[in-house]
Amino acid sequence: MDKHHPTIGLPRAMLYYRYRTLWQTFFRELEIPVVTSPLTDRSILEQGTALAIDEACLSLKIYLGHVAALVRKCDYILIPRISSFGHHRNMCTRFEALPDLTQTVFRDSGQKFLTYDVDELSKHSEEAAFLDLGRSVGCPPKAVKRAYQRAKKAELAQHKAEVQAQEALFRQEGLKILIAAHSYVAEDPCMGKPVTDYLRGAGVLPLRADLVDREGALKRSRDLSPTCKWEINREILGGIVQHRADVDGMILLSAFPCGPDAMVNELILRRVKGIPILNLVLDSQSGAAGVETRLESFIDIIRFKEGLL
Amino acid sequence: MDVAAGRNISFPRYAEYNCAFRYIVEQALGARFVMPPALTKRTMDLGTKYSPDFVCTPFKTLLGSMIESLEAGADTLLMTHGLCRLGYYGELLEQILRDLGYHFDFINLSEYDMSRKKEYIRIVRRINPKVNPARFLAEFMEGLKMVEYLDEITAEYYQNCGFDPTGRACRGAYQDFLTAMYTARNRSEVEAGYHAAKRALGSIPLDKPRRPLRVGIAGEFYTAMDAFSNLELEQKLADMRVEVHRWMNVTNQFLHHGGQKNMHVKIQDLCTYEMGPTATANIWWARECAERGFDGLIHVKSAGCTPEIDVMPVLQSISRDCKIPVLYLTYDAQTSDVGLMTRLEAFYDMIEMRKRVL
Repeated sequence: MDKHHPTIGLPRAMLYYRYRTLWQTFFRELEIPVVTSPLTDRSILEQGTALAIDEACLSLKIYLGHVAALVRKCDYILIPRISSFGHHRNMCTRFEALPDLTQTVFRDSGQKFLTYDVDELSKHSEEAAFLDLGRSVGCPPKAVKRAYQRAKKAELAQHKAEVQAQEALFRQEGLKILIAAHSYVAEDPCMGKPVTDYLRGAGVLPLRADLVDREGALKRSRDLSPTCKWEINREILGGIVQHRADVDGMILLSAFPCGPDAMVNELILRRVKGIPILNLVLDSQSGAAGVETRLESFIDIIRFKEGLL
Repeated sequence: MDVAAGRNISFPRYAEYNCAFRYIVEQALGARFVMPPALTKRTMDLGTKYSPDFVCTPFKTLLGSMIESLEAGADTLLMTHGLCRLGYYGELLEQILRDLGYHFDFINLSEYDMSRKKEYIRIVRRINPKVNPARFLAEFMEGLKMVEYLDEITAEYYQNCGFDPTGRACRGAYQDFLTAMYTARNRSEVEAGYHAAKRALGSIPLDKPRRPLRVGIAGEFYTAMDAFSNLELEQKLADMRVEVHRWMNVTNQFLHHGGQKNMHVKIQDLCTYEMGPTATANIWWARECAERGFDGLIHVKSAGCTPEIDVMPVLQSISRDCKIPVLYLTYDAQTSDVGLMTRLEAFYDMIEMRKRVL
């Protein structure tokens, strides 16, 4: 076997925000170096927009920008195909298409890609997918299995720590707003980060609906939407059920035109009553001023309602 | 016959398949079927008014059609499950209709795990607890036969009607066939309608050149097939004397090529995985059109159709590699007839000129 290990590129977009610990630990255990694309900025967004079909969602445009930033900076770029974790536990079809879609877009670049396929409905588990992944970079199966188990453990521990840290914040004094968003929207420097930064600056504590115990959230999501079929939206729904009494308002934050969010957020608006909700859709044109005006007036409404203004 | 608990079942308009839905509901399930009125601008206005903005266009069409079904006296609405956003249509449609104040029973297949056969029996029993299983199965299969006939005759019609010198004979035969299917009450009427249409279409002398312009249609499962939703794209092309070939229909997608077992082998160089519910079939068909020497391909989708947006880069590759012109059409509630016509005429001029030069 070749001693020189290839470098793996991780685009800092989409499921990176969900799986970064899993990926980084897995490759570190196998002594494979990784490079991560830089934080999203205007140039990444513009480059991605130029590469994507106009009608694609903002998240995909940003993703393609990150892939472009990694081209020729690593041997392989990792693009997982994540389809389903079981019945009514699907991902948006975009995550099924992502590896083939991206390889088609970059087919003239000479860049090589790595992928793994999680599709529980076709009896292909995450563990099996990682075994395939390890094999395709030439690592012995035993080492791969150990690396996956450690990576999974690290991922779960990391998530648990984040959930616990946030649970403590719910007990804090002051105005609290629940952000219902995919992690790659909430944490992206060009999408959700300016929103949470603005809220903090205005003395409001932003809390994330998706930072909850995932298994519990999947069960709780049924109270709000019995047939919701998207894993991440179900976690968000579960988070809303669990925490809506603990916050003063809620922001439904989505990237234009996110397929699942367009429908699930409409349902939330129709079914969650008695709490102020702001439905904020971000597109690549979003100037800071427009978003800030809406956030400012939303905060004013909450303060007015609670007699604080 | 006994009508189950007086149920008046409806399913929104979907191309011409409602004749088969009607047949299955009335003959196999022993309930009444309320035929939703034909889709009109009013249907779209109703659907658009009450739908969220960024939902794909078929959602709006189905919502409008469901409202019109309820106005026509339906008390039970049926909604399918699906692999894309379609799988969540049911719950949101029901919520919107309930918020509007309608009272109805809603049978949402997304509430069931359709990978289990037992669930089908539960659904049938819910619609009619007294259903006779033997009769149900026989009539259900006849309903599927009607779908096959419908797809076969529709394909034959759009391949030939542009070359009918009378301009009426083909259209008349097709309309008679549809009427027969919409009114058939038993197996012999279905068969008679089909054979009459076969004979009628076969006996019309066509004025077809040796090498006519041939255009393939690929795209999203609702918009590519529903003539109202795609502004009669196929008829418009046929009227320009083009042979129109659409592979995508219920027969090909579900009845004959269930799961599309080996189609992916032929497109392995283009995609490794299934990219979406109809992606494999559409990519395969696009390549097939190029290899059969078609003069062009039209990709049809509704605004916001995620899986078909993701297929587009692959179709662009096929277009470049195989030198086949592709026209991409996106339909939303505002798409106008005139705008479409302009684009089709330009596309026609281009492929027609290309055929003469090449």
